[in-house]
Amino acid sequence: MLSLRELQELFAAALDAPQDAALLPLLVADRIAPGERLAVYRNNARHNGREALRAVYPVLEQLVGAEFFAAAAERYRRAHPSTSGDIHDFGRHFADFLAGLAPAAGLPYLPDMARLEWAIHEVFHAAAPPAFPLERLAAVEAAAQARLRFRVSPACRLLASPWPLRRLWQLHQPGVAWDEGFDLASGGVALLVRRSGFEVLLDALKPGEYALLRRLADGQPLGAAFAALQRTAPALDLAAFLQRHLLASTLADFSLR
Amino acid sequence: MIPSSPPPRLPARAGIGLRAPHYRQLLAELPDIGWLEVHSENYFGDGQPLHYLERARGHYPLSLHGVGLSLGSAQPLDRTHLARLAALVRRIEPARVSEHLSWGAIPGRHLNDLLPLPYTEEALAVVAAHVRQVQDRLGRQILVENISSYLRFRHSSLGEAQFLAALASETGCGVLLDVNNLYVSAMNHGFDPAGFLADIPPAAVGEIHLAGFDRAGELLVDTHGSRVAPPVWALYRLALRRFGRQPTLIEWDTDIPELAVLLAEAATAERLLEVHDALPA
Repeated sequence: MLSLRELQELFAAALDAPQDAALLPLLVADRIAPGERLAVYRNNARHNGREALRAVYPVLEQLVGAEFFAAAAERYRRAHPSTSGDIHDFGRHFADFLAGLAPAAGLPYLPDMARLEWAIHEVFHAAAPPAFPLERLAAVEAAAQARLRFRVSPACRLLASPWPLRRLWQLHQPGVAWDEGFDLASGGVALLVRRSGFEVLLDALKPGEYALLRRLADGQPLGAAFAALQRTAPALDLAAFLQRHLLASTLADFSLR
Repeated sequence: MIPSSPPPRLPARAGIGLRAPHYRQLLAELPDIGWLEVHSENYFGDGQPLHYLERARGHYPLSLHGVGLSLGSAQPLDRTHLARLAALVRRIEPARVSEHLSWGAIPGRHLNDLLPLPYTEEALAVVAAHVRQVQDRLGRQILVENISSYLRFRHSSLGEAQFLAALASETGCGVLLDVNNLYVSAMNHGFDPAGFLADIPPAAVGEIHLAGFDRAGELLVDTHGSRVAPPVWALYRLALRRFGRQPTLIEWDTDIPELAVLLAEAATAERLLEVHDALPA
């Protein structure tokens, strides 16, 4: 007699391999063949994986069409089996998977669109941090300001792409008509994905602003991060930057080290 | 520390599932329904969904229904998953917490489905230990739901209902009776659903679910994507006779319709609850 653990391993293997017959003798056989019964679970596994990805990647599905998306979802499910009882985690590696998917090579912006949709998904579900400690910041002496290390909010994501990702995403939102003037070659974008009230917002950032936020997110102190950008982004206004990102709650906290 | 008020009980009325497409309309219109059900895992993230749930919590009693804990897996429960559930329960103080009599995980991998168990003494010991662990962690009773199944194992020594009854008696957990699942499984395996009801002790039942199913060849498949079927309504009336008036959920998870359709289904359940009350015991 198989143990429960052995039975469950056998069942999982049978879900992956339609020709695997090892489980069938253990199933009740009646007017419906055990193989037909097991097929319902195989179908559920495919369906659940695909639906979990469709929920996170609705723009990708429109870009490639339902049939291509379903086939890619099935390959992804086999390459990156779920490891969590929370199905919201399942699509985490879809962008990297698409980057290596040969049939998708003709649509080189797909992986970046996947990164954007995953960022939106994460921002939607992420906890909002407590309010920024403005009074504590005001008490920091001028001489110490260069040593400020900001923490970028866990409910924000930064994303840069050589494709006009934001416009492409907007054009695939419900009720938005296609823009005949849209040009895929119109240049890239640097985005801040954040939440405001009920909405997830995609803010376009200037290159210097994006670079500074990226450096702060990587843990660099404010003085060094700003100085490093003097050559590439001399027009960056630090006071305006801080004001904007304190108001937008991009910056969640700081420390002095 | 100020003791918090005890969470509200689920009223023995009809409720509906709170699903993302209806968040705003439901909170704006606050329809007259008894309670709301949500899938626990949709609120693990502490983000925007939880914001809606906390607002809904101010207007309706809530039932947290888990789909991913995998009570029936031979391996230990996922401690992270359980910790996230415990944090959600502390924050939301739901009237009820429930899970399924199923398994979905093997070491290193999650199948994200509600898979059937062999109904054996070994499986009973595994599920009972996990139910006790969850109840200890949450500090409260949970309900365990009968699933729709498409296959059975030859070496089962108990029926699903006997297994559930033994589980309730060993752990003090309650039973969430899903009447649609019962109908689907009874048709798929050719057993008498009335016999199933008779095997469940009346005092154990704490919530009833109703939903729609589809057909795939000769099998009925539980899809939660359509109206409750007439034979399921008939079985529901039979269940009310045995278990008395119960909180009753209309579940709809795929092809989610307009809120009005859900409310109409809930109104049908509510009428049956009232008719049940009017009948002699």
